[in-house]
Amino acid sequence: MADLQDVGARVKRATSEQLGVPVEQINDDSRFAVELGADSIKSIELVAAFEAEFDIEMEQDEALEVKNVGDAVRFIAKHLDEQGS
Amino acid sequence: MKLVVLEDSKYEDLYPLTYMRPSFELRCGATSLLEKISHATGGDAAACFVRDWLAPAYKEHTGMAVNDLGQLEGDVLFVNGRLLMDGKVDLAGLGPDQALMSAGTLVAANVRAATLASVKADSIDATLAALTGKLAAQEADATLIDFPWLLIRHNAEMLEKDFDRLYADRAGVHGEMHEQSCILGDTGRVYIAPSAKIHPMVVLDATEGSIVIEEETKVFPHTRVEGPHYSGPTCQLVGGKIREACSFGPVCRVGGEVECAIIHGYSNKYHDGFLGHSYVCEWVNLGAMTTNSDLKNDYTSVSVYLRGELTDTGEQFLGSMIGDHTKTSIGTILNTGSMIGMMSNLVFSGELMPKTVPSFCWILNGRPTRGSGLKAMLETVRRSMGRRNVVMTDADEALIRHVNTMLKPELRAAIRKAFKR
Repeated sequence: MADLQDVGARVKRATSEQLGVPVEQINDDSRFAVELGADSIKSIELVAAFEAEFDIEMEQDEALEVKNVGDAVRFIAKHLDEQGS
Repeated sequence: MKLVVLEDSKYEDLYPLTYMRPSFELRCGATSLLEKISHATGGDAAACFVRDWLAPAYKEHTGMAVNDLGQLEGDVLFVNGRLLMDGKVDLAGLGPDQALMSAGTLVAANVRAATLASVKADSIDATLAALTGKLAAQEADATLIDFPWLLIRHNAEMLEKDFDRLYADRAGVHGEMHEQSCILGDTGRVYIAPSAKIHPMVVLDATEGSIVIEEETKVFPHTRVEGPHYSGPTCQLVGGKIREACSFGPVCRVGGEVECAIIHGYSNKYHDGFLGHSYVCEWVNLGAMTTNSDLKNDYTSVSVYLRGELTDTGEQFLGSMIGDHTKTSIGTILNTGSMIGMMSNLVFSGELMPKTVPSFCWILNGRPTRGSGLKAMLETVRRSMGRRNVVMTDADEALIRHVNTMLKPELRAAIRKAFKR
């Protein structure tokens, strides 16, 4: 089972790097588009950053539907579990 | 004598131009390699052999017998589909059970029915291998299109040869040409089709080469077309400098400055911006002010990434090779010798694009991503084809999906490299 705490920390770090938001301002409820300022281009780059960080490949349209950090953590953890990571 | 055209394994060196078509469908001059081979042998090809995964879509679009071993009966003339009919090889003069080779590559083989029946195997590769030793082989000085840039290199020459072959005996202005437009040079080297329309303030300059404007094509004011040149059916030339050695397939819209470029068909370079020494596949849209470099500032030869290796092409002038369904945003700038995959979206962000762009890739802020994903990309394809009243068939979609799966590792590796901390 993926370690949710570890996944969460890495998601927040990657989000901070891509969106330029300090990591301490990012919590599970933070919405990418609303609170974190991710436009369509940044959203696509964020998905790429997550894929590189976790060495996974996600269904792009499903990944782009994820709205907040907490959902992203659960989405990625599910992928990691499915891929046996 | 039945003509059978072969796509050999060199199609990979012709990527990105051959993801969606056999190598012999590439254009050089006014027509495809296949058309020239067919014409030289006096008739259409009866059959062809291509990659398995390309066969369904190609068969659907052409109605040809594709990968059908049942066609290997009777006397057969096998021709390598990469052969450029530039006058160096005489296919009609090849005798029974004779073969032409070029540095170990089969160029053509005239095989008698009995010989073919004695070697016919359960695959085309096995059949051809079994013919080795049964045919009298001779070395030929043949031009085989080994790499994409050879199409550009030979385009001017083939435009003239194709004009001589297809248009010289019906040259002239048969369509509508406004009295305030003009032809420079020999009108015997100009063909304007009956339903073509040349608007005012157009200059067709045939002083250095022939010009063909095909059916339903319109040339709008303030366009200068410099020969040699070919515009296929239903094109629009919308102003600008269409310089020498350009070939535009059907349903292209072209403006700005273009030089020594082949646009395969159904693509747009409507606005200002320069396109030079390039091959643009189908369903490409080059956004306004998209510009490519085709000459290095130190005038040395251009290198490209071929199968991942930087390769010196030996060409002083070489622009971009752009795969099907790719789009560029306004202001995109492309480096010399760029290889741009299919179904990609290049979004300008202030810098030169990468020299190699994977397929199914959006370049955002200079980095590769998977963009909107395949599902959304396919919807874009349907919409863009629908604008020209063309429907994407199930076979087309299956082909795109196959190429997407085939090329996933390349894109994944590019994303890892760009985004890994």
